[in-house]
Amino acid sequence: MAMQPHSKKRVCYYYDSDIGNYYYGQGHPMKPHRIRMTHNLLLNYGLYRKMEIYRPHKATADEMTKFHSDDYIRFLRSIRPDNMSEYNKQMQRFNVGEDCPVFDGLYEFCQLSAGGSVAAAVKLNKQASEICINWGGGLHHAKKSEASGFCYVNDIVLGILELLKYHQRVLYIDIDVHHGDGVEEAFYTTDRVMTVSFHKYGEYFPGTGDLRDIGAGKGKYYAVNIPLRDGMDDESYESIFVPIISKVMETFQPSAVVLQCGADSLTGDRLGCFNLTVRGHGRCVELVKRFGLPFLLVGGGGYTIRNVSRCWTYETSVALGVEIANELPYNDYFEYFGPDFKLHISPSNMSNQNTPEYLEKIKNRLFENLRMLPHAPGVQVQAIPEDAVNDESEDEDKVDKDERMPQSEKDKRITGDGELSDSEDEGEGGRRDNRSYRTPQPRKRPRLDKDGSTIKDEIKSEDSKDDVKNISSVEEPKKEMAPNP
Amino acid sequence: MAANMYRVGDCVYFETSSTSPYQIRRIEELNKTPSGNVEAKVMCFYRRRDLPNPLIQLADKHQLAQSEDSPIAMKLKKICLKTPVGEEQAAQAVLDPALAAMEEESSELPGTDGLAPKQRHQAKHRELFLSRHVETLPATHIRGKCTVTLLNETESLLSYLNKDDAFFYCLVFDPSQKTLLADKGEIRVGSRYQTEVTNLLKDGEEDVRVNEELETLVWTPEHGLTDRQIDQFLVVSRSVGTFARALDCSSSVKQPSLHMSAAAASRDITLFHAMDTLHKSGYSIESALSSLVPASGPVLCRDEMEEWSASEANLFEEALDKYGKDFADIRQDFLPWKTLKNLVEYYYMWKTTDRYVQQKRVKAVEAESKLKQVYIPNYNKPNPALITSNSSSGKTAPAVLNGGTNGTAGVAPGQLCASCQVTNSTQWYTWGPQHLQYRLCGTCWQYWKKYGGLKVKTAGVFGETEVEVAKGPRGEGEDTALSVSHRPHRCTVLNCAKEFKLRAHLARHVATAHGSGEGARPVMKTRAAFYLRASPFTRLARRLTRALRRPRHYARSPFSPINLQQVKHECSIAMAGLGGAELRAAGAAGAGAARVRGPVGAVAARLAAARGTPVPAARHDWLTLTPKDAMPAPPHVAFPKPPKAPDGSLMYERVLSRAEIEARRAEAAPAQPLKRRAYDDINGLDRGGPGRSSLEGAAPPPAKRPNKHPAPMQRPSREQYAAMCARAQATGQPLPAHVFTHVNGKPTNISGRGGRRHVISWMDAPDDLYFRATETAKAARRNLSCGELRRGARAPWRAMRGGACKAAAPLQLVILD
Repeated sequence: MAMQPHSKKRVCYYYDSDIGNYYYGQGHPMKPHRIRMTHNLLLNYGLYRKMEIYRPHKATADEMTKFHSDDYIRFLRSIRPDNMSEYNKQMQRFNVGEDCPVFDGLYEFCQLSAGGSVAAAVKLNKQASEICINWGGGLHHAKKSEASGFCYVNDIVLGILELLKYHQRVLYIDIDVHHGDGVEEAFYTTDRVMTVSFHKYGEYFPGTGDLRDIGAGKGKYYAVNIPLRDGMDDESYESIFVPIISKVMETFQPSAVVLQCGADSLTGDRLGCFNLTVRGHGRCVELVKRFGLPFLLVGGGGYTIRNVSRCWTYETSVALGVEIANELPYNDYFEYFGPDFKLHISPSNMSNQNTPEYLEKIKNRLFENLRMLPHAPGVQVQAIPEDAVNDESEDEDKVDKDERMPQSEKDKRITGDGELSDSEDEGEGGRRDNRSYRTPQPRKRPRLDKDGSTIKDEIKSEDSKDDVKNISSVEEPKKEMAPNP
Repeated sequence: MAANMYRVGDCVYFETSSTSPYQIRRIEELNKTPSGNVEAKVMCFYRRRDLPNPLIQLADKHQLAQSEDSPIAMKLKKICLKTPVGEEQAAQAVLDPALAAMEEESSELPGTDGLAPKQRHQAKHRELFLSRHVETLPATHIRGKCTVTLLNETESLLSYLNKDDAFFYCLVFDPSQKTLLADKGEIRVGSRYQTEVTNLLKDGEEDVRVNEELETLVWTPEHGLTDRQIDQFLVVSRSVGTFARALDCSSSVKQPSLHMSAAAASRDITLFHAMDTLHKSGYSIESALSSLVPASGPVLCRDEMEEWSASEANLFEEALDKYGKDFADIRQDFLPWKTLKNLVEYYYMWKTTDRYVQQKRVKAVEAESKLKQVYIPNYNKPNPALITSNSSSGKTAPAVLNGGTNGTAGVAPGQLCASCQVTNSTQWYTWGPQHLQYRLCGTCWQYWKKYGGLKVKTAGVFGETEVEVAKGPRGEGEDTALSVSHRPHRCTVLNCAKEFKLRAHLARHVATAHGSGEGARPVMKTRAAFYLRASPFTRLARRLTRALRRPRHYARSPFSPINLQQVKHECSIAMAGLGGAELRAAGAAGAGAARVRGPVGAVAARLAAARGTPVPAARHDWLTLTPKDAMPAPPHVAFPKPPKAPDGSLMYERVLSRAEIEARRAEAAPAQPLKRRAYDDINGLDRGGPGRSSLEGAAPPPAKRPNKHPAPMQRPSREQYAAMCARAQATGQPLPAHVFTHVNGKPTNISGRGGRRHVISWMDAPDDLYFRATETAKAARRNLSCGELRRGARAPWRAMRGGACKAAAPLQLVILD
């Protein structure tokens, strides 16, 4: 699969220089230090100067209780290692203690991680950026009033809630080796957020993420779980990631994407059991980026910290569309990367228990589920007058750059960038660009309507292979973003 | 090569007994012992045959529920196996009406639809049960790799059957508690779990969030500077840093050479500062330069690495040695003037230094005993069960040896493969109990070893029942077992007398039809029990049949199988020639009193006569017993009597119990570092699971029932024991039971009276039927002698001496349930 040249995007990066100094405790695999290692690598690779760097604010309790329960946040705010004994009962209730220890500065750590993701989401909402990165975030296990799996405050949910102000549908993708249960649970009953998680399933934390867990109520079919087995390598990962994500994009048609880049799916992770390389992991970022939607990248798991910082550095370069050398630049933590001091890592010789047949079966089952999605989820409830306006070029000029984008402008971005089918139409009417791809009707989903009849056949394996081809052959959308101040 | 390389995380076959199937284990750790051997810490998978019957049934039901989408199944999914389910509960659960309804539809594994019965039978061999039980086995017992995967509903079982060494699992089995659990988390639904979804902003509505409040810009790429200019500025800021170090007294002590100053000035903190400076001065190199050298002198940025003095660094290393990475303690006891953040930052930088690298090297040597993979060559030694040409009876012609054609003529039924009925095979293995002389061909033997069953479900042949019977009373085994009377369960309520196959069915009937009136019914159930009532025919068969010639042997090992076919066969032959009266006589023969054999001298004489030697007229003196005092004394005493304690009792050297030996061994072994393994994450269920190491071959199945004895586990020491004895003698009270349980690790009885009172846990009480002793019964019992009591206990159906019992009538029999 030929790699497309990286495209240049406006990237905002959130980092607080304090984050590396939070320490979960002796022997605890979660090490915020990895975020600092990534940061130092970014500086010395010269990527730092190519992005907007922000120091995030500390999220307030008010912000965090948008999702979390008041008493849980109150508890997080008051608990300290020296007063733990007074909170025994609450610690049990909120599952704080073992996996999620009480450490010095716990609340601040949560504030910074959540603050970064929320600020990034607002940034995307204001269209002040196309890609936002918060490696300090991605704590996908945290529940509404419960800590879980090293996560206390679910910055992802808070970020998505922010995105939902401006986006009718938000897609969440999780490539952590663990199931993104916190995010899935938070949005289990809504059709406005689709959660897609690729994870190891079976005798593995957190135990959720069965293929059959598909959401509930209105959110039925809006949770997509891809249960995988040990030893996933780059090739098989891509073979399942690409068709699923393209199909999701096609049927769900989100207007913003959040990608949790947990690096514990890398080979040799202390807790993980997959066999991905930095390249294979970064490939997911690249593929999602190609859809050209407002894109929030967050961190997540990752417990072999030298590989985590390699991975996130590489993924930052992918987001920026900049090639970086395999030779690691000298930095304060250079010695961590011995003995080879290279950016990229090689997979181990572990066996891959995910046979092509297994992946194929999983994929087909998920396609069946995705076909159950209504073609325009939530569209009937939402009255969007701008949709009727067809004259786009005028609109675009009229827009006040400091104001939020009108719905029509956003819709343009949604469908235009997300469309993969452009290449199919090249033969007849010539390549569709951002002006010609839209059908004149005030519809949100021209393509689906057109292709609706063919969807039934898509369970065939050939079709899914076509999807793979589609992604790789589509060029980056040429459309320029409306210039921002 | 790669095939024989076993890595941590691989699933492998372990051979712990040459005749039983391999055990399936997953390698968790490979450790080199000081002797150079490799031990594997493994996690156990259990086969269906290893599980108690009710649990198997429950597992099948669960499977069924999972595979279906009917409302009942959905309901079951909710209730089933979210929490561990034990044997007793399982027995009841399978009788749930909803489940029973489903049972009628099908009783097989899901995905079996369309499978031939043979395949269905084989699919059962591929099902395993995960456990969190960990044991240690020598790596040399590994006999090959296999794969065990969680069954996914999209897969058909055929995909496992078509692959060699492929197993699947669905449920988690706890061998110590005997429970099953579905290892599946749950996404909870409700306002306590889901978030309120933000509404899309209405047109014209303003978002209250302002970016400026949420973030501070630190750097922007829109600066108009070229990369080159930034690089140049970074170099300048580093040189300023170098110069600043030259001016700074404390730095010049630490970094005596210019190189060191330059290196210190090149650390990332200087670069970050330079970038910040550029940003703050609006990306004007000029003003940034001037802010690098303010009036107060050139800017000096130092990180923790540089900030710390040599003595602080030494203190830190010392503290790290003492406390590990407990930075709060380190700060408190060693470096109170530093903040915790200082310590953490320093620690991560310290890890890049030579001193850490050296430490790491030491650790690496230690870690060498932890292997990542191990090479185990193919195991070529013949299995003891292999029938070699020499040992195989004369029936096999020598010509067979080099030819592949086994003489088919005159092959006795026993010479067929018990599984696939072939007569041709290059290798034969004895299989099953010896007296049956079953044998398996090479391929079936391999199949048996790997999958723990026979390829074909052989109904009548003892084959499968061995599997069943070996595990104790199970469905089929019970039905076919000789002379186990199968009494139907009859409802005891007046005018009802309905009969049921299973006691549990009866229980349900009583509860629904008659209303459960019994108040004193225990919540938990006692174990099911059965008794053996020998019919006259059975008794006759015992006399007639060769296979049953060793009644004592069978009595002692009730689980060893008896070949029914053979018994019937022999019986029918033997009985063919006998008339009714003779039969009756033969049957009664055994019931009479024991034969009187006379004194040993007479027996010897009789035996001698039988062998043809002349019978000595007089009694030989060698036949008279030597009086005790005339016995020759040994030259030295192999086991001299231990010294006597003041109270006259002997003082024995304390013999360590196994538990103690193991505890001691565990102490000697270095404490395992707290390493999180993947499975650790699951629900924390495995916490504190004792890593039982059983080095000697087969992993003994865990004790059927955990020790429920309330006695303290601490064994009394020799002194304590003596003191207790003394106290007991003085007060005339019996010793507490636990004292005896722990003497030499075995229960002992000091004397017939006042010994340990044997209390049976009510759960172990046979069936739900017990005798409630009334005052009169107790009084009557007191009249009986010890011997009579025992006799009565052994033969409860026999009338007791005289009218002792009648006095106690009416019998107080209480039936539970």
